[in-house]
Amino acid sequence: MSVLTGKRSWLRTALASPAIGRLGVIAAGLLIWEGLARTVLDPEFVSPPTRILQALVTRTLADPTVLRAIGTTFWELLLAFALAVLAGTAVGVLVGAGERISRTAYPLVLMLYAVPQVTVLPLFVMFFGLGPASKVAFGFTHGIFPIMVNVIAGMRDVSPLFLRSARSMGASRMQVLRHVVLPHLVPSFFAGMRLSVAMTLLGVILAELYASIDGVGYFAHLYSESFDPAPLYALIVVLALMAVLLNELARRAELRFTWRRR
Amino acid sequence: MPTQRTAVSSQLAEVADPWPAHGGEPETAILCVEELRKNALSNSRDASRAGDAAIGIRGVSKSFGDDGDDGRLPALQAIDLEIRRNEFVCLLGPSGCGKSTLLNIIGGLLKPSTGEVFVNGRRVVGPLPRDIAFVFQEDTLLPWYTIAQNMHVALEFQGVPREERPERVRAALEAVGMSEFARYYPHQLSVGMKQRIAMSRGLSLQTDIVLMDEPFAALDEQTRMVLGEDLSGLLEQTHKTIVFVTHSLAEAVFLSDRIFVFTARPARLKSIVTVDEPHPRRPDFMTSDKFNGLRNRLYGLLREEIREAVRQNV
Repeated sequence: MSVLTGKRSWLRTALASPAIGRLGVIAAGLLIWEGLARTVLDPEFVSPPTRILQALVTRTLADPTVLRAIGTTFWELLLAFALAVLAGTAVGVLVGAGERISRTAYPLVLMLYAVPQVTVLPLFVMFFGLGPASKVAFGFTHGIFPIMVNVIAGMRDVSPLFLRSARSMGASRMQVLRHVVLPHLVPSFFAGMRLSVAMTLLGVILAELYASIDGVGYFAHLYSESFDPAPLYALIVVLALMAVLLNELARRAELRFTWRRR
Repeated sequence: MPTQRTAVSSQLAEVADPWPAHGGEPETAILCVEELRKNALSNSRDASRAGDAAIGIRGVSKSFGDDGDDGRLPALQAIDLEIRRNEFVCLLGPSGCGKSTLLNIIGGLLKPSTGEVFVNGRRVVGPLPRDIAFVFQEDTLLPWYTIAQNMHVALEFQGVPREERPERVRAALEAVGMSEFARYYPHQLSVGMKQRIAMSRGLSLQTDIVLMDEPFAALDEQTRMVLGEDLSGLLEQTHKTIVFVTHSLAEAVFLSDRIFVFTARPARLKSIVTVDEPHPRRPDFMTSDKFNGLRNRLYGLLREEIREAVRQNV
């Protein structure tokens, strides 16, 4: 309390800032990890952060086959995500457009969303083979749901007053969609998109881990089978960076398209 | 009152076709209805029924819910009335009596259970954006558009050619003295200013008729008085027929040429009160004996109805 103690010290001010605090938590976590990994933890399962960094530079980023695998995974992810956004929005708008169709289909969508898709992963590999197609397909079916669910939910809570007002002025269905419904959807659409990034990545990696001949998942599988944790963790770092990158892209797009509320 | 309600619902249940075709032409009726729905307006004129009135309402009843349903709620009962051209009319009644329902039926946003509505001599079967503009109670400005864009979109909805829109938007904003706020977003304006914009948007649509559903209900009394004066002044310039729903007695007297007083639910027309005072009306009208006399008369007419409405809502 500055009233009681007078001026705050610079240290207090720094600790009170959320960004500094966050960095502090991360640094403390890494330190504890480093300490534990060097002393009590089994080096066949856990590598200290310093060794992971070393592996990232000397093995992951220096190895052309691994780099190609990262590229493969990135393209699978990007393609699956793009398809999920397009199809999810289209299906969401169509399902959300009518009272009857939305009441019929929305529970089905929610039910399918709740089913753990891993159970049918072998089917995907059977249908689409060991190559990238099965990964894109599995990423797609993961990524489409958050978009669909958010778009349908958004369509269902468009203000009836706006719809009535637009109708009284003679707006056509397309005009209502363009000027009333779509702008209203923007916030929930982007919320869905950011969830979708994480889900798509999950789908792609799951499919790669299950059965693949390429991609980050293939190498992750390889490293863990051979009790070589440092490059495994390095791959996880790379995946995290991919997710952050896509999430940031979604956030930028959101800032650009969101109308200012207050 | 449950007994009354059952009686009304059985009476309404007997009506086989709740949306009968235009009377007198049975052989073309079915064809017509389809045709009319497309055009939103009947082309057949029926002078004997509609007269020179801007709006004619013939035996309009409305119930919500399905036939024979216990929850069926009669809102309007056998309403007959006529609204003349360039007239300012208030629909006055206790809250929840069905005034807004009647307004939505006039505007073609709701279908009556029985009866018909004529606008400019033609039967209403859907929204009439060329003839009727709406101003709603809550602000219906789209929050993602600026004030000018909102006006622009309204004109686009109405089908006004693109090249005419900027000038119309400019003129409409100027008429209410809001030009400087053209580039503001709705959330940057006060409730009163937003409602003033909504009002000017309604007037800018260049329809003969403007239907206003308690446009001042969300405003404080002072803002309400100022906007009321503005409206009275705007009317003088625009020559429109206005139907205004309110439950404020003072607002009704101050603005109206005629006041239609309704009973508690289900609404029936109880009385018509004429206010013989030229527009634009000045604030000193509000302190005159004539004003207070009319206001008291309205209160006398409404007293039991308000009590009935309060009882219904317990």
